[in-house]
Amino acid sequence: MAVSRRGLLAGSLLMTASLALGACGGGGGDSTSDEGADAKSLTLWHYEGPTSAMGVAWNKAIEIFKQKHPGVEVKFEEKGFEQIQQNAQMILNSDSAPDILEYNKGNATAGLLSKQGLLTDLSEQATKRGWDSKLSASLQTTAKYDEDGIMGSGKFFGVPNYGEYVMVYYNKAMFDKYKIAVPATLDEFTAAMDTFVKNKVTPLAVGGAEYPAQQIFYELALSKADRAFVDDYQLYKHKVDFNGPVLSYGAQTFADWVQKGYIAKNSASIKAEDMGTSWEQGKFPILISGSWWYGRFAKEIKNFEWGTFLFPGNNLHPGSSGNLWVVPEKSKAKSLAYDFIDITMSPEVQNLLGNSGGVPVAADPSAITDPKNKELIENFNKISTSDGLAFYPDWPAPGYYDVLVAGVQGLINGSKTPQAFRDEIAKPYNENLADLGK
Amino acid sequence: MTDRTERRRAAPMSDLAGEGQEGMTTETQDPMTLTATRAPQRRTAEKPALRERNPGRFLILTILLVLLLLIVAPLLVVAVNAVKSPADYAANGPLSLPGKLHWQGIVDFWNRVDFGLKLWNSFITSLAVAVLGVILSVLNAYALGIGRVRGRLWFLVFFLIANLLPQEVLVYPLYYLSKQFGLYDSLFSIIIIFTVIQSAFGTYLLTSVYTEFPKELLEAAAIDGAGKWRALWRVVVPVSRPTLAVLFTFFFIWTWNEFFLPLIFLISNDNQTVPVALGVLQGDRMMDATTTSASALIGIIPAMVFFLIFQRTLTRGIAAGAIK
Repeated sequence: MAVSRRGLLAGSLLMTASLALGACGGGGGDSTSDEGADAKSLTLWHYEGPTSAMGVAWNKAIEIFKQKHPGVEVKFEEKGFEQIQQNAQMILNSDSAPDILEYNKGNATAGLLSKQGLLTDLSEQATKRGWDSKLSASLQTTAKYDEDGIMGSGKFFGVPNYGEYVMVYYNKAMFDKYKIAVPATLDEFTAAMDTFVKNKVTPLAVGGAEYPAQQIFYELALSKADRAFVDDYQLYKHKVDFNGPVLSYGAQTFADWVQKGYIAKNSASIKAEDMGTSWEQGKFPILISGSWWYGRFAKEIKNFEWGTFLFPGNNLHPGSSGNLWVVPEKSKAKSLAYDFIDITMSPEVQNLLGNSGGVPVAADPSAITDPKNKELIENFNKISTSDGLAFYPDWPAPGYYDVLVAGVQGLINGSKTPQAFRDEIAKPYNENLADLGK
Repeated sequence: MTDRTERRRAAPMSDLAGEGQEGMTTETQDPMTLTATRAPQRRTAEKPALRERNPGRFLILTILLVLLLLIVAPLLVVAVNAVKSPADYAANGPLSLPGKLHWQGIVDFWNRVDFGLKLWNSFITSLAVAVLGVILSVLNAYALGIGRVRGRLWFLVFFLIANLLPQEVLVYPLYYLSKQFGLYDSLFSIIIIFTVIQSAFGTYLLTSVYTEFPKELLEAAAIDGAGKWRALWRVVVPVSRPTLAVLFTFFFIWTWNEFFLPLIFLISNDNQTVPVALGVLQGDRMMDATTTSASALIGIIPAMVFFLIFQRTLTRGIAAGAIK
């Protein structure tokens, strides 16, 4: 009896708490452009390491900001990703909120906070300062959210400084050893992998226990997809047929790749980190993953030459804008925060981001000195300007990441047929659609 | 009384070897006759014979060694990677020995998060919680265990349930309370919260210890004219000091290792504790293995040092000093 009473008490407390939270969120919205222009300090948070491309570029941006605003003190704090992810809602609802911070893009993060009224609408600033013309359409998708907090349309609630995309990393030494040229089509790519298999080398380093495997599946599906499919799948424009040609091809081809030995059966339990280090050690010739590895590979690989190419034959690639600069509704220095965002979008900071191994959204490729970084950025610009960013497969529904991990693991260890896999991932997707009332 | 305490003080020093095995078992068997069974002669007579005759000892020793290795292995991996350069890690993986010692990872991390300050924050909170938690537990347990207030069983059930409650449930109520009192983003909120959480366990445990408290002692004190307050500080607390020391140590280490609530309540970097500071390294998709190891190593060392200092208290066991 005591148990239930206690449980009831906790439950009711929780309920009042969440009600109160909802109530607190509603207000705000009176953002004029010179609000907080006379503030004497700017509290700024982000969670990128000091040696990462973003960390380097943003340090520079802080320096420039200080020069332009001599009387203003910049209070920068490096945060943990986990802390922001867990607590943003509570922090932004309190007086401890920073004036500007880096936050995750997506419906469940920036979208949710914008819906609760915790973020400042940046649309006016975006047009006035020309951020909207610097960001391509597929980059803007993750910066805009509608009243329901769903990305793709509505108002600007964040500004991305960098992008990311999935590509193919290859070990030049191993390609040379078996006299394989860089493939230009999917057929050449599979032929190259056949050569490796014939020589008893498993071609692909895959982390089946985390995000990498599902991104390969998505990449394969995208080879048969067009923009309309991506809009349907990610933005719920129309219903997605999980038995249609796109996803059928993706699932079937992924299963074939396992069958043909391109993907090792034991990779179902490999984590992304282990996938990366095994490729760094030269145990596999090819790795299909995101640009977030780029800086690290450049720094750490000393034993062999390597290069990258876009997944052959695809017009659409998994990828998106990076995380966003957002301005909390409770920010006490909004005008300064806008100035700071403007500085991060300036050619100087964008080019530095590119030269440090990142993928800037608005850099001038001719200002990038390192040929490898240049290639990375040119590839991104190619995708971005041709509207080729297809986002990530786990975005459409909450908790979908785990569904996809489990599903693709089933394909890798052969416990599921492609048909069973499609049925399994269709169910939570459609349930989420029903929840959204679409 | 004086005779007993003297003997207790002398005993641990003379039996460094046998403390763990025999001391413990006899104590749990029959605490009331503890001083009698602990006679040193008997032990010295038995020990050598046991050692020679029992071949099972080797088996047990091997098993213990394997277990020890299993327990120490993760720590060793952490230590090895903490002093490895990132390039070395990338080339040879996590299990290889470092080519040369690379201390830069530790130094960089220390400066990056201002680790000295984090250590100080952790130390202050843990110490405050340990002291306050023990005091609160003693007061509660005195009322419930010795004072025998009405409905104490329900009090105990309540404390037990409070112990079992996951911290996630507490987050929102505590968040609003602390905001209301202006304690959000302040070490005081953490000290208050953990004093209560830890003393819930302390109360539960101490109460069961105090229920068995020898009445004669209390009666003797009452006859000598001691009031309730005096009996608590002059009789109950000194007699149960070993148990209190164990509680103190546990409270300290537990609070030191807390991650979830400090993560939520300590927002500014200046207020953060060690485990929260370690979280800085966890990225969205990237994991910096060598720096993470370096941070884990310097994060765990203080707790280990504290444990080593107080391990004598711990080996005496929670119930050991209860009834002497």
